Amino acid sequence: MFANGIITPNTLSVKDLLWQVHWDKERCTLCGRCTAVCPVQAIELGVHRKRLVQAPPVGELGLSNAASPSNLYQVYYGIRQKTDPAYACVGCAMCNLVCPNGSIIPLRSDEANKLKFHINSGGQARRRGGRRNAPDPPQGGVLDRIKFVRISMLTDPALDAGRHEFELRTLLGRILPPEENLRLFREEGWIPPVREIYPLIIGSMSFGALSPTMWEGLQMGVSYLNEELGMPVRICTGEGGCPPRLLRSRFLKYVILQIASGYFGWDEIIHALPEMKEDPCAVEIKYGQGAKPGDGGLLMWYKVNKLIAAIRGVPQGVSLPSPPTHQTKYSIEEAVAKMIQSMYMAWGFRVPVYPKISGTSTALAVLNNLTRNPYAAGLAIDGEDGGTGAAYNVSMDHMGHPIASNLRDCYLNLVKLGQQNEIPLFAGGGVGKNGNLAANAAALIMLGASGVQIGKYIMQAAAGCVGSESDRCNICNIGLCPKGITSQDPRLYRRLDPEKVAERVVDVFLCFDTELKKIVAPLGRSTSLPIGMSDALAINDYNAAERLQIKYVV
Amino acid sequence: MNDQEFYRISGIENGYRLESRILEERIQKAIAEGHRFLEVHAYGHHGIGGRLWKAGTEPVYVRIQGPPGQRVGSMGFPNTRIEIMGPASDDVGWLNAGAEIVVHGNAANGTANAMAQGKIYVAGNIGARGMTMTKHNPRFNPPELWVLGSAGDYFAEFMAGGIAVICGYNAQDPENVLGYRPCVGMVGGKIFFRGPHKGYSQTDARLSPLTDDDWQWLVDNLKIYLNAIGLPELFDQLADRERWQLLVARTPQEKRSKPRRSMKAFHQEVWDMELGRGGLLGDLLSGDRSQVPVIATGSLRRFVPVWENRKYTAPCQDACPTGIPVHERWRLIREGRIDEAVDLALGYTPFPATVCGYLCPNLCMQGCTRRAANMVPPDISQLGKASIKAKLPDLPPVTGKRVAVIGGGPAGMSVAWQLRRHGHEAVIYDMRDSLGGKISFHIPKSRIPQEVVATEVERIKNAIPHVYLQQRLNGEDLVQLKADYDYIVVAVGTHKPRVIPIPGKERLVPALDFLQESKKDTAKVGKRVVIIGAGNVGCDAATEAHRLGAKEITLIDVQQPLSFGKERKAAEAAGAKFRWPCFSKAVTEEGLELTTGEVIPADTVIISIGDLPDLDFLPESVALERGYIKVNDIYQTTDPQIFAVGDSVKLGLITDAIGAGRKAARAITDIAAGKAVENAKQQRVDYSRVKLEYFDPRLLRFNDIEQCAAQCSSCGTCRDCGICANVCPQAAISRKENSDGSFEMVSDPDMCIGCGFCAGACPCGVWNLVENEPLE
Repeated sequence: MFANGIITPNTLSVKDLLWQVHWDKERCTLCGRCTAVCPVQAIELGVHRKRLVQAPPVGELGLSNAASPSNLYQVYYGIRQKTDPAYACVGCAMCNLVCPNGSIIPLRSDEANKLKFHINSGGQARRRGGRRNAPDPPQGGVLDRIKFVRISMLTDPALDAGRHEFELRTLLGRILPPEENLRLFREEGWIPPVREIYPLIIGSMSFGALSPTMWEGLQMGVSYLNEELGMPVRICTGEGGCPPRLLRSRFLKYVILQIASGYFGWDEIIHALPEMKEDPCAVEIKYGQGAKPGDGGLLMWYKVNKLIAAIRGVPQGVSLPSPPTHQTKYSIEEAVAKMIQSMYMAWGFRVPVYPKISGTSTALAVLNNLTRNPYAAGLAIDGEDGGTGAAYNVSMDHMGHPIASNLRDCYLNLVKLGQQNEIPLFAGGGVGKNGNLAANAAALIMLGASGVQIGKYIMQAAAGCVGSESDRCNICNIGLCPKGITSQDPRLYRRLDPEKVAERVVDVFLCFDTELKKIVAPLGRSTSLPIGMSDALAINDYNAAERLQIKYVV
Repeated sequence: MNDQEFYRISGIENGYRLESRILEERIQKAIAEGHRFLEVHAYGHHGIGGRLWKAGTEPVYVRIQGPPGQRVGSMGFPNTRIEIMGPASDDVGWLNAGAEIVVHGNAANGTANAMAQGKIYVAGNIGARGMTMTKHNPRFNPPELWVLGSAGDYFAEFMAGGIAVICGYNAQDPENVLGYRPCVGMVGGKIFFRGPHKGYSQTDARLSPLTDDDWQWLVDNLKIYLNAIGLPELFDQLADRERWQLLVARTPQEKRSKPRRSMKAFHQEVWDMELGRGGLLGDLLSGDRSQVPVIATGSLRRFVPVWENRKYTAPCQDACPTGIPVHERWRLIREGRIDEAVDLALGYTPFPATVCGYLCPNLCMQGCTRRAANMVPPDISQLGKASIKAKLPDLPPVTGKRVAVIGGGPAGMSVAWQLRRHGHEAVIYDMRDSLGGKISFHIPKSRIPQEVVATEVERIKNAIPHVYLQQRLNGEDLVQLKADYDYIVVAVGTHKPRVIPIPGKERLVPALDFLQESKKDTAKVGKRVVIIGAGNVGCDAATEAHRLGAKEITLIDVQQPLSFGKERKAAEAAGAKFRWPCFSKAVTEEGLELTTGEVIPADTVIISIGDLPDLDFLPESVALERGYIKVNDIYQTTDPQIFAVGDSVKLGLITDAIGAGRKAARAITDIAAGKAVENAKQQRVDYSRVKLEYFDPRLLRFNDIEQCAAQCSSCGTCRDCGICANVCPQAAISRKENSDGSFEMVSDPDMCIGCGFCAGACPCGVWNLVENEPLE
């Protein structure tokens, strides 16, 4: 700020900012890497004036004018943080990553975040990517706090996660009651398609929300898991179409195609139908997203380059908002009747179709409709902690339903109807958000999920996404992802090597597989995934235990 | 041995089966009593034959008749040899620490589990989990398990040492002598086997070629084994080297590199093969997609530096209504070209000394970037005063276009001078007897030495030979001028004083009249003077009244006076009092009566609330607005042939009038040349781009123009200091001399990383960092 500067309501000091860049003059070598790498130009070279007042030594007569005092000015250069909210540091710490001397690092403010009051310039409410900015308490979130307490100590043959064989696959698709199945088999009637898949699914992240390198890396990793390691892992495309080559390859069978309210890329998928070698694994109809319930997808124009445009089947450089709802579907009945059946028709009723909704207190209404519809292949529910590439902050932080109780309610309702083995439930939204992927997934499975979906976790684990619920980075929406995960700028996305992402995907799934076995083995389960095995679960929170109908332990 | 030599212990006594504990106690007692040959009749008793250490090193032989229970020979000692004459139950040789155990039949599950030393010879098949968790303690020989038939499932799980030999003779499962999933978790030891298998844990074990040593060991020990089980005749059949294989545990180092296809290979051999060259997006993306470094150069930089020399106007030039590039003048001085610095101003104003040196409030200094840091701006008035020496440049030949300029004040002279510089003939008409307008006739001598004005007026007259003085024009003259000239510029100033309609208004002395008279020293004032209107003209009047003898001078205004600068200071120095808000009611002999009833005593009341132009001579085609001439942004009136500048358009500073004249002349030149009028104002350089930290903030006054020039930060114009070239961490910036003698600073894209240090350090704010061109 100038010496004669004035302040405006938006004038902030570094102290007001959430992320404060600490710079060490002693160690800095002024190499310029930090300012070159900063995604948001939060730092710049500053010219600083250093004043030395030189007082003469005290002589016999005291301070003497003979040796006159003087001023000495020196100039030095340093890294300065900008305080304009438009250039506020996002805490990604790329500066620290590239600094040869470790002389720079962003630290989170120890004070209330004043920036929050100012990220609305021009009346534009804050939008961002990431998850709900609500770090869980030190003891963890509900999923983290669920313990697996039913250990088979001599009561059952104890299993060894390493040496025993485990059936960890789950089913995606409508499973009819045996008598019904047999009847249809005899009568050569239509039996809904069912897929045997791995219970950890890479959830919907669109081509566009993710960079081309990230998307290819995830797909490559999934194909590797299937073809080299025999793990039937599936990945959902998200809304935004599917690259033409993938549609025409055998790898399509590992892919769940998503159709959402914007229908982006679907004409390209339809055109590819005659040339498909394989059916896709399934079709997911997106009705909602946990991170931003009530909002459609939003891809800003600057991310819609030639590539995205080609895959989505749209012109370049236009913003691509999706409506919050499917515009011609006004009720659950209609959505089920029209949408699910129509999507079945695309592949001759060979591909399971299921809806995905955001976590909501009305989930049971949806589920009850699905139970009456033989076409419904499952229900995916995305809880409030799900991530997104772009959403209004208020939607992310305050909208949505926690996944645990939502999933549990749905499962118990199915139990009441006796249909818990007929309609698989898939849970997502913050699974593994504190790094406890297998434990969270196992908890959800034992609460009643047939499988779990992950998104943000795989970005963090497979590509080094630095975003966090402490409001770190979270700039996926502006295309400046410093790791190249969500950017469409080749200068950024070429930082990411698809092969390395694929390797990490494999690491994650292998590790998850081991950890899941480490959980189910002591419970004495090896022949099937312990879906709904809630007698194994407990939590040290009485109310949570009551709500989830699991044991309370202290 | 003779059967009579055996000490017999039966598991049945009096028709009742003994507990295993009792049988164990009896066996131990027999050993303690010195018996070394025992025959035990077992009825499912556990743990027979183990722990016989009381015999010391003496060999003990235990023959078991009948069906033993689990864990025969468990914790067996090296002195012990056990022979089970039929099949055995589970866990034979459990935790065996050295005993030799022969089973003349099949052994059930868990055979040799946790065995560390000793040998187990089985003459049949074994059940599940045989040879599991066995180990080899280097202090002893490795344990051995010999099986004539096949192994059950989960064979050699967690095997950590020892040697197992599966002979595959009369195997229970002839298709698979190793059972289901053998060797899981195996970390040590060897397994010799003969016959087919259906896989083993590839992660933990691997097949190893049978060496001659291995074979020799096998052959030697096979004989011993076959003798032990009483089937030496099988030797020739079993000693067929071709049919034997050897499994060994993988080392930890081997396990770390599991034999799976690398992702790189998968990418090339599977992924790209199925999808086509270039993978998933090979059909849509053509460019290079190889990985790029985080810190990149060239086209991969996200930002690039741009040397924006002279792209933006310096704040001084921007603030100057005349538009003088003050920073350029300081630059010329820094370069030692003082004459050029002086002459440069003439390109913008005919009055560089009069105005910049004396009369102007120097808006350039007010706009100076240095003020943002509370630093004193370079003193332009020093350079202004020096400009009295400015010489007329060579003038271009006239184009033939003729322009009549009505009014020879600052505005008129400015426009005439600029027109002449553009090659047009300008003819000045003025109603007074000399040029200069308000500068010559109204501004007090105290503010400006008259010889300065005279010198500058004379200088212009040399360039404008056609001046018609004492020409009061009327409407008819205008018609004639319109016919005679291509364009007319009206610059008549203001002459009609504004008065207020109050009683006694005829007693009011208009300020301009007063100033004009005072300048000629013909004005008369009383001792007490009241001036209505405390603006700068009022201040001039106050100063002059004081000079002419007034003792009590009061300036009143209806609002807080707007006067400022030198005029205000001079009036205050003359002892003038400022009062507001005061509303005049009447002018009387006593003085000025206010609406409050108060009378301010006055001998002279001067009115100084502004003046209006006298525009009766203008044709109807020229529209007026509230008494002034209406013009557009290029000073053109509603009559396209007629332009108007100066106070007759809008009251302002002299520099405003001069600037308007310059812009009007430029517009006329463009229109005359049939070009679109170039009117866009260059943007001012952002203050924040200029770095004042290089300058001494405690410098309060400047000794000379050289010092002024040194302290100018040269906003927006490169001062050739070389800081950028030095601060660049990549040494990417260099100074390039052009053939025309100019220079530029150039950043080498192959070296530059786009850090923006050049922009951050540039004292002048010339370097900028902009986003690089988008890549597809």
